[in-house]
Amino acid sequence: MNFVDRLNQMLVLLGCVMVDVAVIGAGQTKYGNHKLGLKGMWAEAAENAYSSVDRDFEPRQIDEAFIGSVAFGGAQLGNTAALLTEHSGLDGIPVRRVENACASSGFALRDAWMAIKSGQADIVVAGGIEKMNDLSAERKRFWLGVSGDTEWERLAGLTFPGTYALMARRHFHEHDSSHDDLVHISVKNHMHGFENEHAHIRKQVSFEKAESGFMVADPLTLYDCCPTSDGASCVILAADHVVRQFTDDPVWIQSSGAASDRLALHDRPSVTQLLATQKASKAAYSAAGLAPNDIDFAEVHDCFTIAELMATEDLGFADHGQGGVFAREGRGVRNQGSVCINPSGGLKSKGHPLGATGTGQAVEVFKQLTGTVEHSRQVRGAETGLTHNVGGSGATCAVHIFGRERNG
Amino acid sequence: MDEHFHWKGYLAVMNSDGLFIQSSYVHEDQLVYGPDSDSTTMAIAAIQLMRDKGHLLESIHLSDSIDARIVYLATGVDSIAHNDDLQFDDIVWNLLSGEEATLVITKSNAESYDFEEPQDVEIIDAEFYNDMAEAWRLEEKTHHVSQGAYVSESQYLEGAPARLSLASQKVGGRMIWPPRQLDENGLRFSDGTHELVAEAHVVSWTKLSAAGAPSEFSLRAPILGGIQTLLVRFEQGPRGVFLVTDDLDYSPKIGDAVHFAVRRIYAQEGMMRYGLKAFPKR
Repeated sequence: MNFVDRLNQMLVLLGCVMVDVAVIGAGQTKYGNHKLGLKGMWAEAAENAYSSVDRDFEPRQIDEAFIGSVAFGGAQLGNTAALLTEHSGLDGIPVRRVENACASSGFALRDAWMAIKSGQADIVVAGGIEKMNDLSAERKRFWLGVSGDTEWERLAGLTFPGTYALMARRHFHEHDSSHDDLVHISVKNHMHGFENEHAHIRKQVSFEKAESGFMVADPLTLYDCCPTSDGASCVILAADHVVRQFTDDPVWIQSSGAASDRLALHDRPSVTQLLATQKASKAAYSAAGLAPNDIDFAEVHDCFTIAELMATEDLGFADHGQGGVFAREGRGVRNQGSVCINPSGGLKSKGHPLGATGTGQAVEVFKQLTGTVEHSRQVRGAETGLTHNVGGSGATCAVHIFGRERNG
Repeated sequence: MDEHFHWKGYLAVMNSDGLFIQSSYVHEDQLVYGPDSDSTTMAIAAIQLMRDKGHLLESIHLSDSIDARIVYLATGVDSIAHNDDLQFDDIVWNLLSGEEATLVITKSNAESYDFEEPQDVEIIDAEFYNDMAEAWRLEEKTHHVSQGAYVSESQYLEGAPARLSLASQKVGGRMIWPPRQLDENGLRFSDGTHELVAEAHVVSWTKLSAAGAPSEFSLRAPILGGIQTLLVRFEQGPRGVFLVTDDLDYSPKIGDAVHFAVRRIYAQEGMMRYGLKAFPKR
């Protein structure tokens, strides 16, 4: 560390300067039905993240770790972060599991970012993990609605497909949207994910096939729903005064925004908007000094196609009620539309290992912005990317904006 | 003179002797309960009809087959089975269970009663009836427990007044349902002593495939062909989600007016959980 960096570090600790945070490495497992157990998956994701750092990195340099997981593979164990980190060369450091349903690692990322911003740590790991396919068919029902309002929604027969189906039908009723618009989203995300070597479902889907899928929760079909995936993801964050030890080409976290909303859909003022997304993205745009039209691509939380349609509205890429038109006109298609939505294939194609999804989105952004993504998937001219990670049906949301530039 | 009613899915006859109520369904020449009904749900419907017609019911004698706690939570009508401080002789009304799916409410001092026979019974599909009966039998076993999102007995009972009688809170003219705990000032909301009027309109709806049903419904959803849920807005403002009663073939539309009836929701660890389900206003 040179003199300027040392001075800067001291000023941060004294509270005189707010530190900037960069991603210096990121990695993940393939998403899907894994043979590896939880320790093996986490080690693979961490190993991929460590090896993605340009130079001179060892895990012993990490100060702290935040790992998102909803229920640790349905095992419902405690103290799981320590169990994972001891298998990834992170003995002895402060660790904890972060749980905010499907937004667990989005919030782990925010916590890691705050740990560095506060001056308490210089190098921090944020990650996530879930193993959902090692349960029997009956125990797999554990995952159905576990992060919703169990007392009211679940006992009214609702799981998340049902809750999002209620949103979809109401959106169709209130706005210029229809199930065909959701089919466009499904087709696009499968097209984007087809060439993603880490995607769970690497299959292109025709409009006709997606349109006629098995009905899961009317009006949502199988092609409107993300798969049940295993996977782990890991990103390494560093304070600005240490970044240059590791890379000349960092990805800066320009801002982090987060918010919450009522857990149950029926308790919210609107069932066709996620207010947590609106608040979180407003905070993130404001802190970065950016507007939606400054974003080149976004990894949005499309657990269901209607969730992506609503996210394009709530994140400001389309006006309220115009998400259907946005999808219909292909405005989220890579290198064709106004802003590429889900270049990874999103949760729909890349997969959704609940606790791993948020930092998995950050892995995609890191690769897009460092030009290390598969060439055919590269978003041309990508300078600024956004991640949008939602917990449950919208009760929690974390939005991060990343850029090649240090500030927006 | 006997008055006949179709009331919350049951058939009822009322006269000066009191009320006779029965299930709408016949199986093998016997009256049987519908797929999510039993003597407790019909007793609640009977008490509600009596009150709707102006009778004052504060306490009642109940037979052992009826869950007195649920009756009290749903209607506020007390019984010795629920409250042993009550004096036997002070209870004016008597609810008698018949051998089949029938109940009578009459005055405790009545020596006899006579009612016309209700009309419009229908034969329930035998396979459907038997499959549902077997599913409930399995579900009611003490070892049957939800896989995952577990709603404990205490959590269920905490919400039971809101679930069974729409108990809600009134804050500055605004109704809050389901009841909440602390407000933005850190102060407790008032007790849930106000009841929402049980009239609402459909805001949205869905039908979940049987394969995707929560484990609470995993035994019955395949027999029912899925789980139908309505998101409704009450006339007084709050919204809620409700199952549709199991004995209805109903294709909802946004804007439909609906009513509610107490029915079985699911059983867990040997305890039947009851709640309001919706049905269209016709």
